[in-house]
Amino acid sequence: MTSGPARHRVLESGALWFVLSVVCSLGGVWLAVRTLRRYTDPPPWGFELVLVGLGLIVVAGYAAWRLARAGIYSWLLPLAAFCLLLVEPGRAGDVRTWRLEWGVMGLAWTLAAVLVFARLLRRSDELERRLHLEGAFFGLCVGLVGSVVYALFENRLPELRGQWVAVVLLLSWWVGYLATARRYRWRA
Amino acid sequence: MKNHLRVLRAERDWSQADLAERLSVSRQTVNAIENERYDPSLPLAFAIARIFALRIEDVFTPDVEPPPDVEPPPDVEPPLDLTSGR
Repeated sequence: MTSGPARHRVLESGALWFVLSVVCSLGGVWLAVRTLRRYTDPPPWGFELVLVGLGLIVVAGYAAWRLARAGIYSWLLPLAAFCLLLVEPGRAGDVRTWRLEWGVMGLAWTLAAVLVFARLLRRSDELERRLHLEGAFFGLCVGLVGSVVYALFENRLPELRGQWVAVVLLLSWWVGYLATARRYRWRA
Repeated sequence: MKNHLRVLRAERDWSQADLAERLSVSRQTVNAIENERYDPSLPLAFAIARIFALRIEDVFTPDVEPPPDVEPPPDVEPPLDLTSGR
């Protein structure tokens, strides 16, 4: 059993909200996709499973919102990278009539994420902005070096997906942020 | 840049969180400045000096002292005489 201050530290660090959001996203998306894909031949308890899946996604969203409200970037960036992995943009091509809807939805979510991040950055102080600047610069460098290396071996490597590039950029931004935070002895 | 933030804070019995709240920055930023890991921007340095009712050079001192042949600026500058013309 964790003591009061230890529990408070866990909540303050955002680790709990991060884990909750990851688990609920994974469970919710898995349940929702698994049941919705079989809508013509629904499994027993299909409707209830869809509801549970959607409920889990709502809980995941609440946990992400708690992280965003507290401005805990050290967990927000890997969470964004993880959520990107759950997106299946290729699915839009399967159902021609839904292509526009999927595209608009993806764009809306991306714009919302960028707006939330811009708002958080405006709220942060000068040192935290500097941490992000240096972290993002590190991410950009990793992306550039990775792109050049990929271009050199393009014929021998598997086809690159934009989704993976975005995940790598987000994760390297996060690593850069943590490394810079360590340099300034900022407890990220 | 060196600073006397820890001493000034202790004299007033303020925690890092108290000072951070007065400056509208995070406690980690106060900690980084206090440990001389981060040099604040000019506006933040002025805000810190104002909060302690001191001059900026009473709170922060440069790592490298100016060369001895450079005269320190006078404490109070004479007001500009704008009426004298040429």
